[in-house]
Amino acid sequence: MFSDPESSITFAQFNDYTKAIGTYIAKTVPQGSPVVVMSGRHVMTPACYLGVVRAGCFYGPMDADMPTARLNQILSVIKADYMLVDKAHVEVASSLDFNGTIIVLEDIIDTQPDAQLLAEREASLICTSPLYVIFTSGSTGVPKGVITSHQSLMCYIDAVTKVLNINDTDIMGNQSPLDYIAAIRDIYLPISTGASTFIIPKNEFAVPTLLFETLNREKITALCWSVAGVELPAKLGAFDVMKPEYLQKLCFSGSVMPCKYLKIWQENLPDVLYVNQYGPTEATASCTYYVVKEKVDDDTVLPIGTPYDNYKILLLNDDNQPVKQGETAEICVSGPILALGYYGNADYTEKAFIQNPLNPNYRELIYKTGDLGSIREDGVLEFHGRKDRQIKHMGHRIELGEIEETAKKIEGVLDCCSLYNKPKEHLYLFYTGPATSKEIVLYFRKNLPAFMSPRKLVNLEALPTLPNGKLDMQTLKTYFK
Amino acid sequence: MEELMQILEELRPDVDFENETALITNGILDSFDIVALVGELNDEFDIEIKPNNLVPENFNSAKAMMALIEQLQDE
Repeated sequence: MFSDPESSITFAQFNDYTKAIGTYIAKTVPQGSPVVVMSGRHVMTPACYLGVVRAGCFYGPMDADMPTARLNQILSVIKADYMLVDKAHVEVASSLDFNGTIIVLEDIIDTQPDAQLLAEREASLICTSPLYVIFTSGSTGVPKGVITSHQSLMCYIDAVTKVLNINDTDIMGNQSPLDYIAAIRDIYLPISTGASTFIIPKNEFAVPTLLFETLNREKITALCWSVAGVELPAKLGAFDVMKPEYLQKLCFSGSVMPCKYLKIWQENLPDVLYVNQYGPTEATASCTYYVVKEKVDDDTVLPIGTPYDNYKILLLNDDNQPVKQGETAEICVSGPILALGYYGNADYTEKAFIQNPLNPNYRELIYKTGDLGSIREDGVLEFHGRKDRQIKHMGHRIELGEIEETAKKIEGVLDCCSLYNKPKEHLYLFYTGPATSKEIVLYFRKNLPAFMSPRKLVNLEALPTLPNGKLDMQTLKTYFK
Repeated sequence: MEELMQILEELRPDVDFENETALITNGILDSFDIVALVGELNDEFDIEIKPNNLVPENFNSAKAMMALIEQLQDE
């Protein structure tokens, strides 16, 4: 069911492990509580997640490779009393600002299952109970915890299963960190369809030939990867050496696919089903999908397609009014797939999840994605970027505001502005003050996930401004090279 | 070598490239670092790093990278 280079577990073992973990957690943790899970890139991590769920609780996954400061920020938002960790991460866990109880996976894995207790905890769950809280960049400098319910997850998993036709003969190759939203397919498609998932070691993505060897050795048939992950082997020329022989389905999401790379995939693997997905974490991973039937060219721009089952899309302009076909407006989404909100942050939740302004008759929440789109004549949705300063970089969503808030905390940084050079995929930080670029990068590496660290730093005497006093971003962009 | 160290320093100022010998094996450089690095090395040294060159042994240390660059320049 789940395997990694070192071990492999069957469905029966997964069932047993989650019962054991679930029993221990149920005996220790009050039902309905959050449990932070910090466990490595291996087969037991999904068992930890589902063990927590079997105990009638919900999990908040954390990647131990993130800097301590980031992990502490997450802990300060989720305020959990219990943390489940594997042995390898006990030391990291003990070093965090966490006053609750640390439960070590290896110590509880032999717990005798208590069928009655597990049945009671299962009965306590309803379809709108929270399943997990996954953290994403927040423009104020504090990460936002998006809460997803059992029902939302199942709606999405059923919908994506249908589109990709995932079944028990499929073997998936997991790329995404297991704590990240994109991993939910790799974790829940096996549970729901009987497929299997192989967890690919992270450093294989730096060695494309090794990556393709792994795909062939494990006979991997289906990949749900970030666009950045799909680009990598094409960019580094892996197809010149070999091809993934068993691949049938490739689904990608997270950012706009540069079609010069997809073209390389298509030319080498013409029979694979290619699916472009679009959607935010707040709507359970993805809202819409587009099956790529055409042969793409270097400059092809893929549409984001049509809504998945149980997703409703509407386009609203700045006055919250519907727009005509072809006009660009904000993409809003509604349906049972909407997140329960941001954990512990009612203000943010109320701003982002609002009553459908077109519906005066009954309660219908929509989520305003901040993304812009328009509907083609044939009803297919196209994507036109962001309304605000959120970007997608290396498959991750980043608020440029968070980069700036972080930089301003550094001694020697007086003022700053962060911009993204999309064609080059360089994250820039323009700043004033005596700090050296090394000091700044070191601070970022210590406090934020690696993908949020600026790649290009430009020290200026003063940030350029427009006559109205606002920052002159166009002038800053002339520094892009 | 100086040129290479400068590129590496700019790419990841948090890494000790003088002494580190398991940059790939230990996951210190990630896939995105490699993509960025390969692009810069190709431009800077006028070489073409092929997928077959992208093995841990060639990128685990600054010294190994220099050896690869020199080898490719000779070809």
